[in-house]
Amino acid sequence: MNVDKVVEEVKARLADVLLEAKVERKNYAHIKVKPEGLVRAAQLLKECGYSHPASVTGVDYPDRGEIEVIYHVESIEDKAIVALRTAVSRDNPSLPTLRDVWMGVHYHERETWEMLGVKFEGHPELKRFLLQEDWEEGVYPLRKEFKLKPES
Amino acid sequence: MPVRVAWGIQHPMSGHLTLYLDVDGDVVLNTEPDVGYTHRGLEKIAEYRTYLQYVPIIERACDFDSSNFALGYVRAVEALMGVEAPERAKYLRVIAAELSRIMSHLYAQALLSMTGGFETMTVWSANDRELILDLLEMLTGARVTHTYIVPGGVRWDLPKGFKERAFEVLNYLERRIWDYYKMLFQNRTFQDRTMGVGVLSKKEAVELGVTGPSLRASGVDFDVRRDDPYEAYDKLDFDVIVEKDGDSYTRALVRFYEIAQSIRIIKQALKDIPEGPIRVKVPPTLPKGEVYTRVETGRGELGIYLVGAGTNKPYRLKISAPSFRNLAGLVYLCRDVPMGDIPVIYYSFDILLLDVDR
Amino acid sequence: MIKLPIPTIPKELVRFLIPPLDQLVKGLLSPEIMELLIKVLVFPGFAFIMLYAMIAVWGERKLHARVHLRIGPYHVGPIFGLFQLIADGIKLLGKEIITPENAHKVLYHLAPILIMTLSMVVLAFIPFFPVDGGYWVIYYTPYNLLVILALFSLRPFIMIMAGWASNNKYCTMGAMRAAYQLLAYEVPLMLSMASVVILAGSFDLAKIVESQVGMWYIAPCFLGFIVFFVAMMAEICRRPLDIITAEQEIVFGPWTEYTGMEYGLIMMSEYVDVAIASFLVTMLFLGGWHGPGLHPLAWLLIKMGVVSAFFFIGRSTWPRLRIDQLLDAGWRKLVPLALVQVFASMLMVYLLKVVF
Repeated sequence: MNVDKVVEEVKARLADVLLEAKVERKNYAHIKVKPEGLVRAAQLLKECGYSHPASVTGVDYPDRGEIEVIYHVESIEDKAIVALRTAVSRDNPSLPTLRDVWMGVHYHERETWEMLGVKFEGHPELKRFLLQEDWEEGVYPLRKEFKLKPES
Repeated sequence: MPVRVAWGIQHPMSGHLTLYLDVDGDVVLNTEPDVGYTHRGLEKIAEYRTYLQYVPIIERACDFDSSNFALGYVRAVEALMGVEAPERAKYLRVIAAELSRIMSHLYAQALLSMTGGFETMTVWSANDRELILDLLEMLTGARVTHTYIVPGGVRWDLPKGFKERAFEVLNYLERRIWDYYKMLFQNRTFQDRTMGVGVLSKKEAVELGVTGPSLRASGVDFDVRRDDPYEAYDKLDFDVIVEKDGDSYTRALVRFYEIAQSIRIIKQALKDIPEGPIRVKVPPTLPKGEVYTRVETGRGELGIYLVGAGTNKPYRLKISAPSFRNLAGLVYLCRDVPMGDIPVIYYSFDILLLDVDR
Repeated sequence: MIKLPIPTIPKELVRFLIPPLDQLVKGLLSPEIMELLIKVLVFPGFAFIMLYAMIAVWGERKLHARVHLRIGPYHVGPIFGLFQLIADGIKLLGKEIITPENAHKVLYHLAPILIMTLSMVVLAFIPFFPVDGGYWVIYYTPYNLLVILALFSLRPFIMIMAGWASNNKYCTMGAMRAAYQLLAYEVPLMLSMASVVILAGSFDLAKIVESQVGMWYIAPCFLGFIVFFVAMMAEICRRPLDIITAEQEIVFGPWTEYTGMEYGLIMMSEYVDVAIASFLVTMLFLGGWHGPGLHPLAWLLIKMGVVSAFFFIGRSTWPRLRIDQLLDAGWRKLVPLALVQVFASMLMVYLLKVVF
């Protein structure tokens, strides 16, 4: 299903949790939902043929007080990308895991937890992935308050 | 009784990862990967360097295919700024990217034959890779990490004598790869070792997020160069190799045929290249906004998500690397296999730990 | 000048000791002992093994390199790297012999010595060429083929000993695989040897070679030759059937933990094994020392060299087989072929007896 039809479907069926849905440019749409509706939106996208997960990104916006998590998924038949986004507060970020919808986001979510502190409920393996084992708990490197010390 | 073996970091054949295998007799029950040995925090560094200073750094995200990674990042920067590179620069970028892809595929083939103890193919592939590295040195000045593709165009023009030398090397390579076919792909023992090993069906490959030659070997017809064309790929004529079986042999075969296609692309690009400038000026700061672009590297599809904030440093850069996505496929397949299959599956996916860890 | 007290042996003691010493020296210089010393020290003993290992190391690495389009050993020695073994040996002598913690010290250090001894003891039983009155062999027994087979079946025990004593999971797994592989390939080995023994009518290698005067056994027993060659390749663990010493891809199986000269002993024993295998193939199937013109020893060495070269080329041409594919090939493909050959041999003997 190409991106225009996806945007229409989403506006029709997810009207209660939808915050924003539009087609940015050719073959790229973005959909912003509330955290409660994330799983429903993901299942809807999978029905529309978007079953190839590409990446999971977390962006830290301290001035807005939120962390935005973006799931990019692709469709093989229509060669298009949809960005599914949601925002959680910085103090206790918690989202349901989308691992049951798309198998491939397993390691992406684990890395987002490790780097930004977003807890994914229901993820079976949230533990250290890229950082070393004796990294301090509660320190998340990609948040803006973690400053890189310049060398020498 | 299962024993936990560390197929580990201090191992001649494991690359930069440890796979904790639960082994019962000769059968591996499941694996748990332990990555992060080469984690350099490239995404955090992006917030501290200007966008031009970051170009050499993104190339180090993957040593063996560096021009394609740089191309992904530079395209993201240019899309955010709304700048387009001139025509001649597009063709030159295609030449550098395809040479880089041949380099990556030859190296993957060398490593895969090493897992079977077949040092002959390792040395042959590495030998011929040297010719490509010499061509890249003539074009860009460096063998492995080129720093040739920059926002706005490319840095140098074609040197004198490059076209003749490139045609010589490519003609030789076109004949030579059929020797590889006879020695490796028609070798009975190699077929025994890789056929039927690590079969990934079409549905599993798509849902796991596997990309690149591994995806095309499972029957999925998707290549970013044809389906979402960038640079000069819409004007060049090439085939996308798709095979149906989805085992390790097919993945190696897809990469092998892609070498032949890359040679075809480079020859066309060298013939059709137009005259003109090679670089345009770009604004000094990144505008506010965000963009997601993708390119096809040798290992798969690279996605770059860039958020700009009005300064000359990116606000957030996310590299969605192909090997990171293929890692899920590796862990999914390494269950209930004999232990001798583990290195074969690992190298047939062409996972390079540098872009898993970034 | 200070006169130091030099201790002197009293003259009576010297006169008492001379006759037994004289007897001892006469006995040592007797022809039998001298012959035994030449056999043990020169051929087929120490000097031959060193020389063969030197030429085999050089030859194998040069052949391997030429297939790879490289040059191979180049600097050490007269013909572009002939003395490479000497350079490697001196380097290995200078390295420290490390014992892993919690390894069983006695068994760990005993294993490489035993494997080298086992390989060399086999050479003591092979009759190499005829001399007047008998054969050039260190110890002659009319059942020397059986003794050699028995010694071959001791090899898995030493590998298990090395693997277990090293206290390392990889070594233990490698030792188990060694046991499986060596056991599996003993059966086709014995069966293909049996097909030659039936035709020759004797377990004695000398008689087998003598009976090949008219026709070499490779002609009637061609299937047996192929089976024997492959089974020998598996027994001495040469590529492409060397999954146990190059397993998990190149962590060296049961011999992983050995360093220094123990590692050198293991490497040497592999080359001695190639020598033994080439000798056996030559004597069983290729007519041994028969040949026009030259001395029998020269023919033996030429034939053995050609067979060794085939063992070396096999290393560069095929990848390794996985352990279950190897066992499958051994039990399900080689054993039936060897059985077919045994029945064919029995049929030939029966026809020869009945017709002639």
